[in-house]
Amino acid sequence: MATNPEGQMGLYGDAVVNGLWRENPVLRMILGMCPTLAVTAALKPALTMGLCVIFVLVCSNIMVSLMRKGLRPHVRILMFTLTISTFVTIADLFLRAYVPKMSEALGPYVPLIIVNCIIIWRAEARASKSGLLVSVVDALAMGAGFTLALSILAVIREILGTGKLFEIQILPTTFPAWAAMGMPVGAFLTFGFVLGAMNVITRNRS
Amino acid sequence: MDTVYMLLTGFISVVLINNLVFTKFLGICPYIGVSGRIDMAFGMGLAVTFVMTLSGTLTWMIDHWLLIPLGLEVARYVAFIMVIAAAVQLVEMYVKRFFPSLYESFGIFLPLITTNCAILGLCLFLVIWGVGSLIEAVVLSFGGGIGFTIAICIMAGIRENLRMVDVPEALQGAPITLITAGLLALAFMGFAGMI
Amino acid sequence: MLRSLKHFLRESWLLIAASFFFGLLIAATNAALSPRIEMNKVTKLTSLAAGLLTDAKRFVPLAEPVEVKTRGGKTEPVAVYKAVAGDEVVGWVFKVVGSGFADKIELVAAVDGPFEKLAGFDVLASNETPGFGDQIKEMSFREQFMGAPADRFTLVSTGSRQEIDSTIVAISGATVSSTAVVEAMNLYLPQIKEQLQQKGLIGDGN
Repeated sequence: MATNPEGQMGLYGDAVVNGLWRENPVLRMILGMCPTLAVTAALKPALTMGLCVIFVLVCSNIMVSLMRKGLRPHVRILMFTLTISTFVTIADLFLRAYVPKMSEALGPYVPLIIVNCIIIWRAEARASKSGLLVSVVDALAMGAGFTLALSILAVIREILGTGKLFEIQILPTTFPAWAAMGMPVGAFLTFGFVLGAMNVITRNRS
Repeated sequence: MDTVYMLLTGFISVVLINNLVFTKFLGICPYIGVSGRIDMAFGMGLAVTFVMTLSGTLTWMIDHWLLIPLGLEVARYVAFIMVIAAAVQLVEMYVKRFFPSLYESFGIFLPLITTNCAILGLCLFLVIWGVGSLIEAVVLSFGGGIGFTIAICIMAGIRENLRMVDVPEALQGAPITLITAGLLALAFMGFAGMI
Repeated sequence: MLRSLKHFLRESWLLIAASFFFGLLIAATNAALSPRIEMNKVTKLTSLAAGLLTDAKRFVPLAEPVEVKTRGGKTEPVAVYKAVAGDEVVGWVFKVVGSGFADKIELVAAVDGPFEKLAGFDVLASNETPGFGDQIKEMSFREQFMGAPADRFTLVSTGSRQEIDSTIVAISGATVSSTAVVEAMNLYLPQIKEQLQQKGLIGDGN
């Protein structure tokens, strides 16, 4: 494994590029949509959710990578689910202890990270087959990609919806705030158009 | 009579006013990928309704008769997802064994449903809403499923028609589905304030 | 029999071991963080109460919770806080729980020292429909309770919001939410008043 240092670097670099762009879980693979739509009304909850997902992804990938030799086919998915739900519980406890207002705002979407397809996908596609370090890098990259995608949506929705970002006024108050951006309508429409924009960008590249 | 009124209003609330798809963003993940035919959407909706009613009831029972009395609320999420996974497994085995023709049409959706946010989402909402009685849990879980089915059938119908229309290339596929969902969410907002 | 047991163990030893490990992890995190989480809940209650009873300097919880019989016949303990400024009792604060449909409404209610007038209420938690049911948070609805007699209320569909008395005008389009607030008040206020009188903490009014 260590005989090809350049290959190793390539492996890590690959994981990073994959997570952030090429296989960006939200914008290209279109996974994990529920939290994407629900928490992106403003930037703060979006970043909090992103951090939670990174935490759960990293811990889950570490655990799965450590366990990968002992995983029996019948109990695979069960093991993944058990692992993920444990770390989501822990993340939720931390949120409720240290940022109670944000925890309330995010509501059921934090425990819904358990069924977020992204985490099981990485456990299955990467952590169960690779060493510890690659799994961690992959988790960080995918988590970062997820957070990036959420942030893009949140910035659009918050600025157009309230004229503020992080509760700081950005646009002049004469701008008529598109309240719909904070509602489900805005969530779906913004996401749809951003995906459309992604298609335009990737089409022009190839 | 009061209970019936409460249940009826609760049912309408979950189906229309607090529709799981259009107001809580649940259950869309697998749908975007699946084809947009109405019959498949309906099949999926029925499967989800069945699993949702079952899971909602089971998790409510476990929450109220096991977790809360023993002070084990912290294990809630783990317990819920395990129960849901087990329930789906059992349902799949049962249907495959005793209703093979049914399994042919709807069974393929079942593994997809375990990770469907809607199921776990509804179980969690039953906790958040402080549902106090078993019958209320059953009715609301069933309502959640019905609301989901209505939502995806409408979307499937629109998607079928979209095939005959000139959708811009960049928006084909997932984007236009999401935009459709957005407009439907807007329409469903009209139900707010009904009760 | 022994062989199938060995087979079972070989297949699922990881699952069992992991369950123990994860169980411990969750229990440890919970034990470490739950005091903080409880503290957060109390802080939220008292900070909202401070907004209602502006004179109060401190909120002292009563040694024993007050028992309230809820609509299902169940008896729930309600923590009542004494709002003090120096030596004087300026009010009483407690949590009121009601149910909308497919929702639970949690309010913090404050009454004056002699438990005669309601200082008002604030919303701790509710998931009511945005734009309609969550209008119970609006001042126009809440103002009707401020200074109203701390006794049973009647809900009407039309009337003057300005008159502060025992009649509450419902929010149009949010009948259920309005009803929930009024019913909850009617359930909790008389019972808590009676219990406090029994404990000798407030006068009989005679």
